[in-house]
Amino acid sequence: MSEEITREIFDKIVELAALELEEDEAEYIRRQLNDQLTAISELEAVPLDEDTPPAAHGVPYPPEISAPARRDEHAPFKNPDEILGVAPEEDERYFITPDIPHEDLG
Amino acid sequence: MPEFEAVIGLETHIQLNTTTKIFCGCKADSWGDPPNTNICPVCSGLPGVLPVLNRAVVEKAVLLAEAMNADVQTDSYFDRKNYFYPDLPKGYQITQNDQPIALGGYMDLPMEGYTRHVRITKLHMEEDAGKTKHDYGRRMVDFNRCGVPLIEMVTAPDLRSADEVAAYLIRLRQLLRWLDVSEADMEKGHLRADANVSIRVKGSTELNEKTEIKNVNSIESLRSAVEKEIQRQIKEVEAGNEIEAWTLDWDEDTQSLSKMRSKETMADYRYFKEPDLLVVHLDEAWKAQILAETPELPLARRERFITEYGLPEYDADILTSERSLSDYFEAANRAYGGDVKRVSNWLMNDVLRLLNEQGLEAKDLKLTPAYLAEIIKLVDANTVNTPTGKALLEKVQQSGKSPAEIVEAEGLAQVSDTGLIREIAAKIVAENPESVAKYRGGKESLIGWFVGQVMRESRGKADPNMAREVLKELLDH
Amino acid sequence: MELCDLSAYELAALIRKREVSAVEALDSALNRIRLVDGRPGTVDAGEITAEDQQTVHAFITLTEDLARAQAEAVDKKLSQGEIPGPLAGVPYTAKDIFNVKGTRSTAGSKILANYTAPYTATPVARMEKAGGVLLGKVNLDEFTHGSSSESSAFQPASRNPWDTSKVPGGSSGGSTAAVAAGMGQLSIGTDTGGSIRQPAAFCGVVGLKPTYGRVSRYGLIAFGSSLDCPGPVARNVRDAAMMLNAIAGPDLQDSTAVTVPVPDYTAALEAGVKGMRIGLSPDFFKIQYFDHETGEISEEPISDEIKLAVEQAADRLSEMGARIVENVPMPHTKYGIPTYFVISRVEVSSNLHRFDGVKYGHRTPHGVEDLSELYRRTRAEGFGAQPKLRILMGMYVSAAQYSEQYYQRALKVRSLIRGDFDAIYDPQGEYRLDALLTPTTPTPAFGFGDVYGDTVLMQYADQFTVTGNHAGVPGLSMMGGLSSDRLPLGIQLLGRDYDEATLLRIGRAFEVATEDAPWRKEKPQVLQGL
Repeated sequence: MSEEITREIFDKIVELAALELEEDEAEYIRRQLNDQLTAISELEAVPLDEDTPPAAHGVPYPPEISAPARRDEHAPFKNPDEILGVAPEEDERYFITPDIPHEDLG
Repeated sequence: MPEFEAVIGLETHIQLNTTTKIFCGCKADSWGDPPNTNICPVCSGLPGVLPVLNRAVVEKAVLLAEAMNADVQTDSYFDRKNYFYPDLPKGYQITQNDQPIALGGYMDLPMEGYTRHVRITKLHMEEDAGKTKHDYGRRMVDFNRCGVPLIEMVTAPDLRSADEVAAYLIRLRQLLRWLDVSEADMEKGHLRADANVSIRVKGSTELNEKTEIKNVNSIESLRSAVEKEIQRQIKEVEAGNEIEAWTLDWDEDTQSLSKMRSKETMADYRYFKEPDLLVVHLDEAWKAQILAETPELPLARRERFITEYGLPEYDADILTSERSLSDYFEAANRAYGGDVKRVSNWLMNDVLRLLNEQGLEAKDLKLTPAYLAEIIKLVDANTVNTPTGKALLEKVQQSGKSPAEIVEAEGLAQVSDTGLIREIAAKIVAENPESVAKYRGGKESLIGWFVGQVMRESRGKADPNMAREVLKELLDH
Repeated sequence: MELCDLSAYELAALIRKREVSAVEALDSALNRIRLVDGRPGTVDAGEITAEDQQTVHAFITLTEDLARAQAEAVDKKLSQGEIPGPLAGVPYTAKDIFNVKGTRSTAGSKILANYTAPYTATPVARMEKAGGVLLGKVNLDEFTHGSSSESSAFQPASRNPWDTSKVPGGSSGGSTAAVAAGMGQLSIGTDTGGSIRQPAAFCGVVGLKPTYGRVSRYGLIAFGSSLDCPGPVARNVRDAAMMLNAIAGPDLQDSTAVTVPVPDYTAALEAGVKGMRIGLSPDFFKIQYFDHETGEISEEPISDEIKLAVEQAADRLSEMGARIVENVPMPHTKYGIPTYFVISRVEVSSNLHRFDGVKYGHRTPHGVEDLSELYRRTRAEGFGAQPKLRILMGMYVSAAQYSEQYYQRALKVRSLIRGDFDAIYDPQGEYRLDALLTPTTPTPAFGFGDVYGDTVLMQYADQFTVTGNHAGVPGLSMMGGLSSDRLPLGIQLLGRDYDEATLLRIGRAFEVATEDAPWRKEKPQVLQGL
């Protein structure tokens, strides 16, 4: 069984992902990730040419079928208040969050 | 003690003056708008939305890239830069990372007595984030600015003094306005500049640890901040201390720098190609169409004014400081077809004053370049005298009528009829026996006063030279 | 026969002729929902009872008021002699991954449980314009992350109408279950690795993943942005074609939606398959299997019943004049899932960044010290295990130090997978195929809990569908028979870019050829005795 994602690496990506996990959830997920990496490691067997291009999309996008860039014309959204309306916390038309801690270094 | 030199690179963010944001139809400019009014599902990052690239952003980026001598790319891509911050509603910024719109570039910066070659290491399109502010332990977030189009442009560490930093930004601001790609107002954040500053022993080629100066919002302040930082670093090094890679925050009120909280870990933005956008394909036709509108650039024009017209550097600088003024000068010059310096003097002395007083740009003047040329010609031909000519500038600007029309309607043509002038002069002499006596008693400088009286009586129309001659004749008699 | 059991085509014709009203059609569908659906999914469902296990649970949100207003509007238009849209009065559902203005749009996740969308997704807006009547939002795997629909935060999860002890497949399990059970003639699903085709196979309905970019993604809550395709779920090929007519086409809101003209997909449906070249590939008759004992991947043949169903389908098409081309090599098929494990995860980890408790959806009700704690707690509480897993895998394989090894490599393998398809469709090539015929899934529907929890095994349920997503090509899944356990067996047709019309035409020919097959007469378990 793969142990590529060690507990240390795992904890680091959990932090980067802005998550926190219960202990049993963490162990389950870490085991699954390592199993998945076993599957992913199959890719190492694929011979790749230097010039095999990376494919960001499957279908090609030649210019003749690609949507043209947007014209620079003002098209306001009618109900910005509805966007504000779904905020968990709003005040004076602002979205509100707790503060970001900052040190005073004088 | 060895002599030190500063090594400075600038990271600039340029807000483009498009009508709409980079990926949605909201207005680009929210200046003065209440928070979260200029937003839509796309720029506020609602689930399910997709970006659609604004054509004008590409066009302005290409104009700027060409003007910076950068190599515009036929195909460029957008990438996602992933990080969490409340002003970034999608949790990633759409920017260009490894295949940007242009590569390379430089600006040859004219300084007093030398030219500084400033290389560009990065030039790409990206979206702006929103704004946040502290409010008693909480953070208030406004998305109006989210998705405003930016060009990020970074110089190599090629600048060597605070003056060069200021000169670069002044030239950049001039160029941005010239190309009509940005309002370039640092106070309004249209042009933002962070400076990376280090020092080294003069003549050395090594790059030492640098500090980064942030949050400065005027060119003058950045000049002071950089100068202060250079002096601080020199002092530290001379005291045998190491320079640490700090981020420094500029406080405008106290005009001082303070250390910002250092980043604990290097961020990993996990860049990858933005799958929601296609390649930006700049085919030859589109590129040609964009560049068809490229004007002669300010530094090139400045050079031409000096070499071709023989104008002093001072004149050339002022006359290329702003594009519409410069175009105005060129047009007036063509219409006048005479001594270039004469047009330059009229423009720099009188037209500029008019512009400043009325807060106008040259292109907005009703006093067209052709009218200006006409007025100078009227003065040259003695049809009107110089003061009348100068008064005409304002009259034309107020009414929009042609100078000839005004001269005709108001009877401003200079009176060069000797008979009429003699009649007025005789009257003045007759009415002022005391002054006449003084003059004849040897106070010849009073001649100017007599000329003034004639001019007043003729409501400015008399040819002052002729009035002087006639008066002398009468008084010396 | 109830109105809700008619095809969309038949129902739309009756409504247009004013033989039945749109309101009557709606009432028929609502009645069916009451009979077979049981309670809708909720985030605080409590115990799943024995009774729950007998019903379908396709829905999360029933939009009855909206549906009634839409149906009444259709009837009014018709009474005024106006020509309504081609789907006027046809009840349909939308996978709850699409934003619909004024309705809850949950993605099957606690993090969006109370989110009401302020705008409408393009495919839904186009269904509205075509006259469709939206019955409601149907259940799915959380954020579409799964192949069984079990991972929804809204329980009870959807069940297979053919056997409610089995899963309906996923992630569009609510869509396929609803269509199979008569709860709306049509449903809009999404397919990122097989999420329309695999549940369509499990539920015995028609599922079409259009070419990437054929249908706008605007308003679809993104999973794998370079892979996601909205598409039709229907009871027959003609209905799917009608629905694709309604939703396909360029969109000013989606740069990746192509400007290729949209044909009338119903025009050539009956033209048959004479002269068409349809391929069979040995690479679609074996599966990769992850052995937990050894920790290794091994290869196994697929279920005999499914293999037989595909071979029989080939025979039927051959009898109708198609040329069956055997031994077509698709050598990179087996890398489809490993590649998908990388690409879809990188995209989704970025796509899910926006759920942070600041702008919408769940925010932790607990006191937090600072912003970073707000993020962590909100996301920890709001996301289920599947999104967490996928976020973490995406973070890992795109981290600066691993990206070359994993992400960049996967993108290159994706090129090779695309190359397999380019080669077989190449008009100058050896195979010159019009379509490739494959099984949709390695097995028929599996039981609740049988696979769930084993994320590798679950992902391999998509191994015959996922390469279509990597390559972007269209895929149609339809019923090709019934297993000895009376579970539907799915066959899949994969086609050329933007050539959905050919797939639909072949699919229609297969329907004609199997019209009298005994399995065609069978009804799902939940409809028996109604």
